[in-house]
Amino acid sequence: MASSIGQYLKHAKDAAATIFEGMSVTMSHFVRKPYTIQYPDRTAVRVQDTLPLRYRGILEVDLEICTGCLACERACPIDCIVIDAPKDKVTRAMLLSRFDIDIAKCMYCGLCSEVCPTGSIHHTTEFEGADYSLESMIRRFVKDPVLAYKAKKGEETDPLIAPILDRGMEFLAEWAEPVDMKKYKKDQEEAAS
Amino acid sequence: MSLAGYEFEVQRDDGLATEEMTLNMGPQHPSTHGVLRFVVKADGEIMRTALPDIGYLHRSIEKISEKVGYHGFMPYTDRVDYVSAMQCNQGWAMVCERAAGIEVPRRGEFCRVIACELGRIASHLLSVGTMVMDIGGMTPFTHAIREREKVNNLLEDLCGARLTFNYMRIGGVAWDLPPGYTEQVTAFLDQFEPLIDEYNDLISYNKIYVERLANVAAVSKEEAINYNLVGPNLRGCGFQYDVRRDEPYSIYPELDFEVPVGTGEVGTLGDCFDRYMVRIKELKESCKIVRQCLEMIPDGPVLARVAKKLKPPVGDAHVRVEASRGDMGWYVVSDGSEFPYRTKIRTGSFSAMSIVDKLSRGLMIADLIALIASLDVVAPEVDR
Ligand code: SF4
Ligand code: SF4
Repeated sequence: MASSIGQYLKHAKDAAATIFEGMSVTMSHFVRKPYTIQYPDRTAVRVQDTLPLRYRGILEVDLEICTGCLACERACPIDCIVIDAPKDKVTRAMLLSRFDIDIAKCMYCGLCSEVCPTGSIHHTTEFEGADYSLESMIRRFVKDPVLAYKAKKGEETDPLIAPILDRGMEFLAEWAEPVDMKKYKKDQEEAAS
Repeated sequence: MSLAGYEFEVQRDDGLATEEMTLNMGPQHPSTHGVLRFVVKADGEIMRTALPDIGYLHRSIEKISEKVGYHGFMPYTDRVDYVSAMQCNQGWAMVCERAAGIEVPRRGEFCRVIACELGRIASHLLSVGTMVMDIGGMTPFTHAIREREKVNNLLEDLCGARLTFNYMRIGGVAWDLPPGYTEQVTAFLDQFEPLIDEYNDLISYNKIYVERLANVAAVSKEEAINYNLVGPNLRGCGFQYDVRRDEPYSIYPELDFEVPVGTGEVGTLGDCFDRYMVRIKELKESCKIVRQCLEMIPDGPVLARVAKKLKPPVGDAHVRVEASRGDMGWYVVSDGSEFPYRTKIRTGSFSAMSIVDKLSRGLMIADLIALIASLDVVAPEVDR
């Protein structure tokens, strides 16, 4: 009997001591810098502006530099990109008559922007996409049919398009460049010998 | 669900009539870590059995792979275990590479391991945090989540997403480390490692917490192997097995790390506390691995060129990776076309569910929560 009371008291003492130990950690946080932020309205800068360029937010398309190659449409595993790019019968130039992205279906995987040759389709840092209707979730980028972009030899000279293309290239630069492993190894061996 | 064979008679010496009670825990129970359901047969507070009923989060992920092709399936692997998606990415990438005979650049392997170990830190932090919360301590959870947020920030800088990373590609990784990443990660590790000890002070050795977990649902080594427990659950029983060490893949053989096991320091070997403690120790080991990788990482490319429409030769391939919840098996059968013929994913949480029935007999209902939390089951990983 006496031993069980002793046991009980010892447990109570241990419990109090370890709680005190834990509380001292908690107390020490009073003098540390707070870590929480008051999203969304009381942050010093918009959260969107603090995100890295790689951030995979809602997709955007720069139609000015879209070549109509359909690589993004093919890469998307859930077919949420729909592009119509018919050839104009008279001038034989490629027109973009439809470029829709269903952002309600999109899972922001980035497989589409990875394959785009010009960085036309890219992720923004925007992530607040709530809306009242599903229809508005379909982003329709083509208002009137436009001519598809044609890559030029050398520098882009059009002053309107050059900055957009530069920005596209910036997005592209984030992605890793695939290498041909056989060739890479051969080069390495040559360099070593 | 049929409970045939689980009926029992309640007999009391004093002749008082008691009735067995069937209690449904879940699927919307906050403590069951996602959509899990347990059919509990209880006599008062004592459980006679707790049968897990799974399938609420089944999304046919394996079947989807047969429709989207090898490259397109990568984002779906994030959803196999959304708490630690990196290792799932790696499993799929590795199995495809083995099936198609693709070599990964060395720097790519380092990037993978860094990402995976950061992912493991994030996953174990969530696991130990929610474990304490399930037992009833709210404060330590916020401490764990605070650190997890920092890891998520690092992963966001790396691959642009916080949860569904889609970081790896067949043949390497999709993004190289951003400039200044080494310093960023080192700074995080420097401030994080002391916090593990602080976390131990805060809760791990708290007397009430220890009493709540010690000697609860102890699993012996033999039992663990018979029921196919893997990962921290297996190591919690004192059995030292880690795929990273015993069936090495990627660059793990070159790295120096320990495989922590349960020691039964506060009670029986293999009890809930041991499983919890293994995760805490693994946090430190993961930090160690990340540091080594950042030091050893060579220059060079990170991604090998792979055909857009990958068509592995007819045949099959199997790999195992050590995910946060243990040995994760990936199996793919190729019929030579651009879509896998069959994919099979074997996960640690699924086999952990099978032992719940056995362990729950004779436990208090409140201890079932501790048991599930210590097994660290994640519902999407159970169902896939
Ligand atoms: S991000 Fe992924 S899901 Fe979304 S449109 Fe691009 S490929 Fe499709
Ligand atoms: S957005 Fe890019 S990938 Fe898609 S059609 Fe235009 S150029 Fe091609």
